[in-house]
Amino acid sequence: MLRLIAGRIVSSIGTLLFVGFALFALTRSGPGSPARIVLGADATAEQIAQFEQANGLDRPFVAQYGSWLSDILHGDFGRSFVTGRDVAVEIFNSLPVTLSIVLFAFAIAVGFGVGIGILAALRPGGVFDRVSRFASVVGLSIPAFWLGIVLIRFIAVDLRWLPPGGYVPLSAGLSAHLKTILMPAVSLAIYYVAVLARMTQASLQETLRGDYVRTARAMGLSSRQVVLYALVNALPPVINLAALSFGYMFGWALIIEQVFNVPGLSRALLNAISQRDFLLLQGIVFLFTVIFVVANLAADLVNRVLDPRQRVAA
Amino acid sequence: MSAARRMNGALLSIEGLRVGFRNASGGVIEAVRGVDFAVAAGEAVGVVGESGSGKSLTMLAVMRLLGAPARTTGGRVMFDGQDLLDVDEARMRAIRGRDIAMVFQDPQSSLNPALTIGRQITDVVRAHRRVSAGEARRIAGESLERVGVREAGKRLDAYPHEFSGGMRQRALIAMAIACRPRLLIADEPTTALDVTVQAQIVDLIAELRRDLGIAVLFISHNLQLVAEIVDRVVVMYGGKVVEDGPVEAIELSPRHPYTGLLQACVPSLTAPVGPLVAIEGAPPRLGRMPQGCPFSPRCPRVVARCELEMPALLTEGERRFACWRPL
Amino acid sequence: MTRFSHALRGIGWTGWLGGAIVVLMLAAAIFAPLIAPFDPVALSIEDRLLPPDVAHWLGTDQAGRDVLSRVIYGARASLAVGIGAVVIGALIGVSAGLFAAYKGGLGDQLVMRIVDGVASIPLLVWAIAIVGIFGVGPVRVGPLLLPNEVKIVLLVGVLFSPVFARVTYAVASRIVGADYVRARYLQGAGHWEIVAGDILPNCLSPIIVQATLLVAIGIVVEASVSFVGLGVQPPQASWGSMLSDARNAIYSGEWWLPVFPGLAISITVIGFNLLGDAVRDLFDPRSETRTLVA
Repeated sequence: MLRLIAGRIVSSIGTLLFVGFALFALTRSGPGSPARIVLGADATAEQIAQFEQANGLDRPFVAQYGSWLSDILHGDFGRSFVTGRDVAVEIFNSLPVTLSIVLFAFAIAVGFGVGIGILAALRPGGVFDRVSRFASVVGLSIPAFWLGIVLIRFIAVDLRWLPPGGYVPLSAGLSAHLKTILMPAVSLAIYYVAVLARMTQASLQETLRGDYVRTARAMGLSSRQVVLYALVNALPPVINLAALSFGYMFGWALIIEQVFNVPGLSRALLNAISQRDFLLLQGIVFLFTVIFVVANLAADLVNRVLDPRQRVAA
Repeated sequence: MSAARRMNGALLSIEGLRVGFRNASGGVIEAVRGVDFAVAAGEAVGVVGESGSGKSLTMLAVMRLLGAPARTTGGRVMFDGQDLLDVDEARMRAIRGRDIAMVFQDPQSSLNPALTIGRQITDVVRAHRRVSAGEARRIAGESLERVGVREAGKRLDAYPHEFSGGMRQRALIAMAIACRPRLLIADEPTTALDVTVQAQIVDLIAELRRDLGIAVLFISHNLQLVAEIVDRVVVMYGGKVVEDGPVEAIELSPRHPYTGLLQACVPSLTAPVGPLVAIEGAPPRLGRMPQGCPFSPRCPRVVARCELEMPALLTEGERRFACWRPL
Repeated sequence: MTRFSHALRGIGWTGWLGGAIVVLMLAAAIFAPLIAPFDPVALSIEDRLLPPDVAHWLGTDQAGRDVLSRVIYGARASLAVGIGAVVIGALIGVSAGLFAAYKGGLGDQLVMRIVDGVASIPLLVWAIAIVGIFGVGPVRVGPLLLPNEVKIVLLVGVLFSPVFARVTYAVASRIVGADYVRARYLQGAGHWEIVAGDILPNCLSPIIVQATLLVAIGIVVEASVSFVGLGVQPPQASWGSMLSDARNAIYSGEWWLPVFPGLAISITVIGFNLLGDAVRDLFDPRSETRTLVA
């Protein structure tokens, strides 16, 4: 079991090394070297050489990648050439904002998605089945940012129930905090509610047809127990999908933050793009990629624990 | 003992049971067409027939486990003086597993792969008896030991995939007898198993019946296999009972031609080696039931009347059969 | 039986609707110059912010441009990116999946590990960041000056490819091991004959299903990237950039500005999703296809 977990972790690290390299190479192959960007178009070749030497940019590409990565492992994302600010500080200042929206949205997505999916699977043709069918088609098709715009119009502008945008940190009070992240989180969550409801319903419907469910009924277990028997076997694909969703949510959160004018990582990333701040951009994208990979790794490990056959299988 | 008296003293008595599927045009296609037979307390009865004979559907109907689109369309299932088709779902749930338990054909898929054997047995115990977790586990261990699993206490923590096919079937039987039911329905319990293991499971069921006094309904397509452990055999064909009687009588002198052929199908170890016998043709398809005897299209003894008129199930001493030209 | 025929009819109905939407949107994109009543980029100060009326069915925007014409032209960007990315992704992914399944051994391991790596890239974050770092200007390829969208198509295409690689691999590796394929070898069939004659046709239905569903995701990705200003560049029309321009209208009340491009996205995505689901129910009852999320 331990060896299995270790193996899975090692392969995730391998993936991150590979993907990190792709990221590093892509950002570096964009137009304009960092030296040109910082020193301006009329810098002399000498100035550029000096800058590159000072910042280690004259070293072989792979060596640069290696030291960037090892610095990150030590919590050092580097110092921006453009702004001179510490990238780690910049990222971790805005990360809580994004994280709080994503976590809230994730809770909504899992709670409602899995809940609706279960209820729909238990009564095929019932109210929840119909709601789920309809909602999954519609929910999959409404872009989060459009929903955000619509919500701002109705909830904030017309009804004046919630502020149309901005952000109040948790430290300033829970209710004020929730008021600012409710609409962004709901906009972000709807798509994933639909995705998870669909998957939960399909998966549970299948396991409910399983022979072991018939056995459980033949032994007189209560309906709750019977559903539980089907559910333990229906969950693995749902957990995988939830993990993927969690990872992807950060991407859509970037767009949603723009709509609601929330000072999260979206602002930092777009600033990095417009200022051609490679290190900040690499840092943010790498962080999101790590979150994505780790979420999937976590789902995999949870599934291994849930499914006893995988615990022993090599 | 006359048939009528047996019915009165019966533990389970199936009377005129009908099961149908609803078809596209809203009509009902009957797959079980008025089945009657009874099981006395402690008795072992074999129900024999080809796939499609309605034997499994009959059992699922008794347990009220039919899934859509199949449903019971008529008859009664008397157990303990009550019609099981009439009791509410909560009552039925209490009966399942406690009074009547059922094990199925494929032990591979019939156990929950995600839960330990022990958990699955204790869940059954705790569904029917108010006992502590520790007590339930003790009962589960005892049950598992009872079905011949060695070091049962340890094996409670094993998962189904760690068991062999035969062991899994034993575990399922342990679940079924954990609450000491009065009737065990075994639906082709050996079909998915290796031949060597089949005999062990059959022996186990015979032993449980003898030692615990549990009545057994053993469903199989294999007459010889069933004959080893049952007192009485019910032969089904085309959704009907075609013959019913004590096992010796059925084996020695089958009256229905179908029973006769069923017996001839399996090569005997004692009889001289002859050509293998197969029954020509295929069982009738649902919704294409012949007007008369369902076996008439395949029957070697068929006469004109067989095709037109369904013979009634006649009682003759301890046996019953439905045939115009019995053997 | 009743249920089955009902289900079939149900599939038919939604499937037809989806197909009709897809055809309609494709027609709008292809024949945009013929259909659009106005020039989508022509400014007209005196026609600014007109609500929908007989002349401008969907109203006009801040620069007096006809919203209907811009929505019609916007279909071009959306479908071009959505379909383009899927085509690129399918080309890469199907080749990779076929190669891995057919070669087996080390090549299989290597290719499928790379596929796993690419699959562990969060789509939208990378799309925004990489397009951002390369700039939104046109791309020069030899004598051709290709618009910014080409970058999005390539990047999203590469990130879509694992879906195709995995589904192709799953089907193909099963077929490669099948007895009838071995028999075909013994009969002297060539490698290409086996790939094109036996393996590809069997992969086709799950590939088509995945492709249809992925177009829907590609369309939303394009809209999102354009929404943050990194996709289709002004003054060209894109549903995403139209929504971005419409953000001020949330407060001032020109409802038609955010509503119509948003509806265009949703309807198109619904169309592709319904069509994809119907195709899956029809051709892929064993469901080789996976649930997609982005």
